[in-house]
Amino acid sequence: MAIPIIMPRQGQSVESCILVQWLVKPGDSVSEGQPVANIETDKATFEVPAPASGTVLELFFSEGADIPVLTNIGAIGSPGEDVAALRPGGATAPPAASASPTPEPEQTAQVAPSSGSPSATPSLQQGTPVGVSPRARKAAEKAGIDPTSLAGSGPNGRVIERDIVAAAAGRPPMTVAARAAGPIPAGAWPAQGTGVGGRVTTSDRLAAKEAPAQISRAMEKPAATVRELPVKGIRKIIAERMRQSLSTTAQLTLHARADITVLQAFRARAKAKGEAFGFPKVTINDLVCFAAVRALKKHPALNAHFLGDRILEFESVHLGVAVDTPRGLMVPVVQDADRLSLAELSAAIRERADACQSGSINPDLLVGGTFTVTNLGALGIDYFTPVLNAPEVAILGVGGISLQPARRADGSTAFVETLAFSLTIDHQAVDGAPAARFLQDLVTAVEHIDILLAADSQKA
Amino acid sequence: MYDLIIVGAGPGGYVAAERAGARGLRVLLIEQRKLGGVCLNEGCIPSKTLLNSAKLYYYAVHGTAYGVHASGVSFDWAAAQARKEEVMKTLRNGIAGLMKKNKVEVLYGAARLAGPRAVTVDGKTYEARAVILATGSAPARPPIPGIDLPGVVDSTGILSLERLPKRLVVIGGGVIGCEFACCFGSLGVPVTVIEMMPEICPQIDAELARTLRAELAKKNITFHVGAKVLEITPDAVRFEQGGKVEQIERDIVLVSTGRVPNVQGLGLEEARVEFDRRGIKVDDRCATNQPGLFAIGDCTGRSWLAHTASRMGEVVVNNLTGREDRMRWHAIPAVVYTNPEVASVGLSETDAAARGLPVKIVKWPLTANGRFLAEHAGERGLAKLVLHAETGVLLGAHVVGGACSEMIFGCAALIEMEARVRDLEEIVFPHPTASEAMRDAVFTLH
Repeated sequence: MAIPIIMPRQGQSVESCILVQWLVKPGDSVSEGQPVANIETDKATFEVPAPASGTVLELFFSEGADIPVLTNIGAIGSPGEDVAALRPGGATAPPAASASPTPEPEQTAQVAPSSGSPSATPSLQQGTPVGVSPRARKAAEKAGIDPTSLAGSGPNGRVIERDIVAAAAGRPPMTVAARAAGPIPAGAWPAQGTGVGGRVTTSDRLAAKEAPAQISRAMEKPAATVRELPVKGIRKIIAERMRQSLSTTAQLTLHARADITVLQAFRARAKAKGEAFGFPKVTINDLVCFAAVRALKKHPALNAHFLGDRILEFESVHLGVAVDTPRGLMVPVVQDADRLSLAELSAAIRERADACQSGSINPDLLVGGTFTVTNLGALGIDYFTPVLNAPEVAILGVGGISLQPARRADGSTAFVETLAFSLTIDHQAVDGAPAARFLQDLVTAVEHIDILLAADSQKA
Repeated sequence: MYDLIIVGAGPGGYVAAERAGARGLRVLLIEQRKLGGVCLNEGCIPSKTLLNSAKLYYYAVHGTAYGVHASGVSFDWAAAQARKEEVMKTLRNGIAGLMKKNKVEVLYGAARLAGPRAVTVDGKTYEARAVILATGSAPARPPIPGIDLPGVVDSTGILSLERLPKRLVVIGGGVIGCEFACCFGSLGVPVTVIEMMPEICPQIDAELARTLRAELAKKNITFHVGAKVLEITPDAVRFEQGGKVEQIERDIVLVSTGRVPNVQGLGLEEARVEFDRRGIKVDDRCATNQPGLFAIGDCTGRSWLAHTASRMGEVVVNNLTGREDRMRWHAIPAVVYTNPEVASVGLSETDAAARGLPVKIVKWPLTANGRFLAEHAGERGLAKLVLHAETGVLLGAHVVGGACSEMIFGCAALIEMEARVRDLEEIVFPHPTASEAMRDAVFTLH
C-alpha cells in the first residue's frame, strides 16, 4: 500500500507552499522522518519529512510549483505499486507525472525527479490544468478566462465552475475577436473595454500588456507658457524603466563615507609621476568603480538579478556606468569588469562614455549589466537615493568630496577629505546587513586603494 | 446657473442638448441663426432633398430601359426649392419640439466665451458646470482670382439659386462638389468638375472613386482631374491641366474646396483655449485644454460629418452624466450622396497598408447582385471588404452603387463588434437586397 507525501499545512493562514527543492528522486530508498523536500511559505523554509520508510515511487510536482496545502506531492511504497489513486486532481485528471499543475516551460525542463516517467502526457506538459473541472473549463472558455490563472476553491485547490463565475463577474464583455485571441490570465484583464458598450477589443488586450495609458489631463495645465515635449526615444525608455523599477522593487538606500586621503595622495602622485611608469591618468570614479568591482567579487549577492521567482547571482561583474548625455541618462556596460586592470577599466569606461555622448554607442553595450555605478559628485551632490536599474539588485551612487573632522591615531583632530556613497539595494533580494557589509568593504577598499591595487597586481 | 451650455444648434449641439435634457440636466442651447445648423439648413438635408428631385427627374427621362416611356417631362426648380424649404421647416419644428420636450432652453444670439464655464450673449453672461462649443464650419474660400464675381457661389449659395444654371462649373471634386455635380448633371445641366488631385473624392477608396467618376460621367458631367484653377472671369473659368491652360465657358461656378472650422469671434484666445486654423483641440472625450470646456463636430476639424458631431456630443453628455465614454474614430461611416451613392466605413486598403496590417481584400460586383441588377439598368457598383488576414476581423467596408448608404451602418456595427469572417458568415441577410453583396464577397474566400 503506497503512502502519499502530503504538502503539510504550515499554520492556519497558509493556503499553499512553494516546492523549492526535491531532496530525493524516484527509486530512492527513504526512511521515515528523512527530509524529502524543501518547501517555502512567504515567511520561511521548511523540510517535508518522509511519512514512512520505503521507495520513492513518484513525485507529482516539479520544483518551483505552488501547491495547495494537504495536496499529495509524492508517493512512497514498494517498487511496482500503483500510485494512480494518490495523484492529485482526482480520477478525472489524466495521470500526472513530472508535470506540475502550473508548469512553466523553463522549470519543467530543469526538473530532474521522475523525468524518466513515460506516463507524462503531452497535454499536461503544455499546462492543461490538472485542477480544473470540465464544467469550469467549459465556462472558462466561454468567458475567455485562463482557468489556470485562478486559485481554485474546490477540493485540493481544484478550479471549479463557481471560481470562473466569480472571476467573470464584473468584467466587461468582450468582442468575439478579442475572445478568439485566447484566454486572458486573471490579473491581465483590462479594467475597462474601449469598444462599443465598453467591450474589451483586441486592441485593449494589447494595451493591457502595456502600462495603462495616461489620460490626458491637458485641461489642467496652465495655458500658453507651457512647452509641450513628446515623450519618446530615450526619455520614453527612461520613463518606463524608472517607473517599472520603483513599482517592482523594494528599494532601500544606505549611506557611508570613505576617507580618501590616501586615494587623493595616490592620484596626485600618479598624475605627477605615473607617466614614467606607463600609468594612466585615472579619475576618482575610475578608482571607485575598480574598488566596487573588487568588493562585488566578495559579495556576489549584490552582483545579481532579481527575477521574481528566482535570483541569479553572477560570477562576472558587468559594470554599468551611468552617463549624463544631452539626450538623457544612458548606462553603458563594461563587460567582465572584474577581469580588467585599473588602466583597462578606466579606458573602457571613458570609451563608452564618449560613445554615449556622441550618440555612437553600440546598443549591445547598453544591456547586460549586473551592477551599476552612478556619480553626481561633480554636481555638488552629497548623498542621494539612486534608482535601481532593475532587475539588478544594487546600484552605487557616488557623491561629492567634503571635508569631515576625523580623530587621528595620536588623538588629534583633523579635517580629512571624504567621499559620499549611496548604495540602493532591492530589499526583495538583499537584506540591509549584507548590503552594509558590502558597503563597509567598499569603503575599506577605497580608503586603502593603494593596497588594493598592489594586491591586484600581485594576482595578475 | 445651468448644468450645460451648448453653443451651436447643429447636429452636434442639438443632439447633445436633447440627450442632456433627457437625463435631467438643465441645458441652455445658444444658436446664432436657425436650429439644425448647416446640416439642416444649408447642407445635408436641403442638398439631399434637391438630389432626390434630380434623381426622380433623371429616371423619368431615362426610364426606357425599364420600359417606362415618358414624354413632356419637365423640371420645376421653384417647386423643388419650395419642397426643400418645407422639409427643412418640418425638421426645424421637430428639433424645436425635441428641445421643448427635453426642457432645453433655446437662446438666439452670438455667444462668446467669458471663461471656460461661461458665455456672454448680447451683454448677458450665462454660467454652467460645463460648456460645449459646437459652432460648426463654413465653406472655405480659396484665393482664386475672380472668386467674388457674380455667379460664383459656395455650397450655401447654390442651394438657393433662383433658376437652374445654364451650365455649371464645379471647382473641387470632393464630396460636396460631386453631389452638386450629380444633382445638376441629372437635371440635364452640362457640368464640368475641376479637381486638383489625381482622382475625385480623394478620401474614398481609389477603386470606388474611379467607378463613381465613370458612373457620374454618364450624367452630363465632364471631369478634369489633376487640374488647377487659375482664374474665374465674368464668362469663363481658366485652369491648367498637364501643363496646358484651358478655358471653359461658365454660367454658375460652385466653389467647393472644403470647409473651415468656425473658431473666430468666440473668445477662444481670451479663454486660453488651444486651437488653430484646423480647429479646436480636443481629446477623445472631446475635452479642450480648459476644464469644463468641450468642443464637438466641425469646429474641432476632426471629421466634418454630422453624425460624428452628434456622437461627439453624446460622448460629452455621457461623461458629464457619469457614463464613461470616449470617441472611437475607426468605425465612422462616410457617404457620398451621388447617384450612385458611395458608402464606406473603417480602414481602406491604403489605410491598412499604411499601418502595416496584413489584410485580405474581398470584392463583389453589384452587377452580380439580383436586386441591384433588377433595379439598375446599365449601372455598375462594387462592394469591397477589408479583412484582417490572420484574425479574419472586418476592418473596413466600401460600397459604390445604388442607395448603399442605407446598408453601411451594418458594417459599422460589425466593425465595432470586431466581427470576424466566420461571424459574418453566420449572419442572415434579406434576399434580394444589395446588402447581400457583402456576404457574397466574404464567401469568395472559400
